[in-house]
Amino acid sequence: MWRIALRDLQWRRRRFVIAVLATSLVFGMTLLMAGADASLHNEGRRIVAALGADAWLVAGGASGPFTTSTPIPAADADRVAATPGVLRADPLVILHSTLRRPWVRDVNVIGGRPGGLGMPPTAEGRAVAGSGEVVADTALGLGLGDRVELGGLELEVVGLADRVTWYFGTPTVFAAIQDAQALGFKGQPLAMTIITQGVPRSAPSGLQVLSDAQAQADLERPLASGTQSIAFINALLWLVAAGIIGSIVYLSALERQREFAVLKATGAANRSLLAGLALQAVLLSAAAAVLAVGIARLLAPGFPFTVEIPPSAFPRLLGVAVLVGLVASAAGLRRAVGVQPALAFGGP
Amino acid sequence: MMDGIDIDIRDLTIEYASGGYLVRPIHGLDLQVASGELVLLLGASGSGKTTLLSALAAILRPTAGTIWVGDTEVTALRGAALTEYRRHRVGVVFQTFNLVPSLTARDNVQAPLWAARMPARQARARAEQLLDRFGLHERLDHRPGDLSGGQQQRVAIARALAHDPPLVLADEPTAHLDYIQVEGVLRLLRELARPGRIVVVATHDERLLSLADRVLHLSQPVLGESRPPERFKYEPGQMVFEQGDRSELVYTIEDGEIEIVRQRADGSEELVAVLGPGRYFGELGPLFGLQRSATARAVGHTVLTGYGARDFRDLVGSGRLAEAIRQAPC
Repeated sequence: MWRIALRDLQWRRRRFVIAVLATSLVFGMTLLMAGADASLHNEGRRIVAALGADAWLVAGGASGPFTTSTPIPAADADRVAATPGVLRADPLVILHSTLRRPWVRDVNVIGGRPGGLGMPPTAEGRAVAGSGEVVADTALGLGLGDRVELGGLELEVVGLADRVTWYFGTPTVFAAIQDAQALGFKGQPLAMTIITQGVPRSAPSGLQVLSDAQAQADLERPLASGTQSIAFINALLWLVAAGIIGSIVYLSALERQREFAVLKATGAANRSLLAGLALQAVLLSAAAAVLAVGIARLLAPGFPFTVEIPPSAFPRLLGVAVLVGLVASAAGLRRAVGVQPALAFGGP
Repeated sequence: MMDGIDIDIRDLTIEYASGGYLVRPIHGLDLQVASGELVLLLGASGSGKTTLLSALAAILRPTAGTIWVGDTEVTALRGAALTEYRRHRVGVVFQTFNLVPSLTARDNVQAPLWAARMPARQARARAEQLLDRFGLHERLDHRPGDLSGGQQQRVAIARALAHDPPLVLADEPTAHLDYIQVEGVLRLLRELARPGRIVVVATHDERLLSLADRVLHLSQPVLGESRPPERFKYEPGQMVFEQGDRSELVYTIEDGEIEIVRQRADGSEELVAVLGPGRYFGELGPLFGLQRSATARAVGHTVLTGYGARDFRDLVGSGRLAEAIRQAPC
């Protein structure tokens, strides 16, 4: 009976192609949504890893290094460095600002001690050696030697770092801590966090110790509503895909009632007719899933931030697509089961 | 194929719901057919031809009675045995061919073989052999839409013969065909009826009469013979005729009252009319060769006179017949 299902697809190929195209667009969107969600987590993981901290110390009761509104004295770094278990400790200022050149771009700013912890490896050029210099994310499109204005400060680009973004691809610039303090605290010697090499065995008074995972969770917390929205949209997209597949299979079952009746009257078992219809749904879903990969790859560069579709998303899409296809075809299958073979005679 | 297959139908009644009412196209039918015979079920639309074919094909379960095809009690088949019967023991040529539009002529003939899980190569060979036999070897890869009516009918017959069944049923096989195509199809059907196989053809086409070994008239004769009027007496609640009965007489009410009711599919009754002395009823069935469309029952002690349809028409006169038909409750 699978041959009949395939011949029917061939016979109604125009409709099949249109359904595959429509469904693949929806599936492509789900891939992009999955990619956007993965990007948010990857950004957080990358930036936390790039700063090379074993532990993060923030003010007691503060939410975390990326969202705290309670700065601590930068000089506490010396106190932390003296704590057992700590090999080195450096203060970091973490801010959000704008960069002019002359276009205006929102940027994350990380200020750290030149040569200290918290300065990322550079892809090009060198690390910040002192005040008046920055290492910029390559996403900003800046070149070495370019001069930029950061919150009123005139700075020179001395190095470029790769993929150091967070908050939906917002690029990061790394500056000397005194420049960041001038920008965020009018020059006061404050910091958001002190990062360490080695983990302190106990927290110095007035501070709390956070791990990388806690720091990443702090960074991602403000994005929770965004990721929830993505998950919700994804669920809606799956529903739309199920609707398209379900409609096509149901329509097919409606149009083929007489055919099913004839096949039943000539000895075809219900289950083989159902298998044929299910096969059509699976083929439609699978073809749409395969096409969706190409569509997602084609559309991904159009997003204002890097969409990182995880490789596992592709086989998962195929699996879920087939499942959605089968579930969506349930109404059509039910219709096919209900066809009476007497219909082949035109009644009763 | 089984040798010596015959058909034995006993007291067959088939009812179904139509438009909310109970319809009984077959009522108490007995029929015996011997192997090798071609049987013609002749009748007007709605006379029960297709219904009887459906029951023979085991795709419609009768309300009462039995059908035996060879040593198989068709009316008792269930589950796998039913599927097995449909696959191997009966082949059906449906009205308007009912070929699967997406399949080629070859695939249409192969479809029942696929359903029976015959190996692909064997199924293909069988389909090509049948289509070749019916002169369609050059149309194997054509879809139904690219075939003439006669060619489609031959594909449909080939499909019915895919499993070489001992019983072949054909529903209005000459409908939708021109006379040249009809000739070819008739020849084919006649050839199929040979010892070991029975062919049952349902048609309203009387040109097929000479083709048949046996004819079953499912429509009752229109008007019928002239006969003397008869007087009938009924007790309260006694039935004069029942919905679905064959129609013979038109009645006039001499004394008492008659209620006309229509049986609904859910078993309830709908009162159509209550008629008193001087009124007549039951004229539509005998005049048009139809079964009774309602039930007539005496309300109290009732006396009726029954007329043959021809005599009733003469009694009323052609001028008043149209008015009588317009006012008829059943």
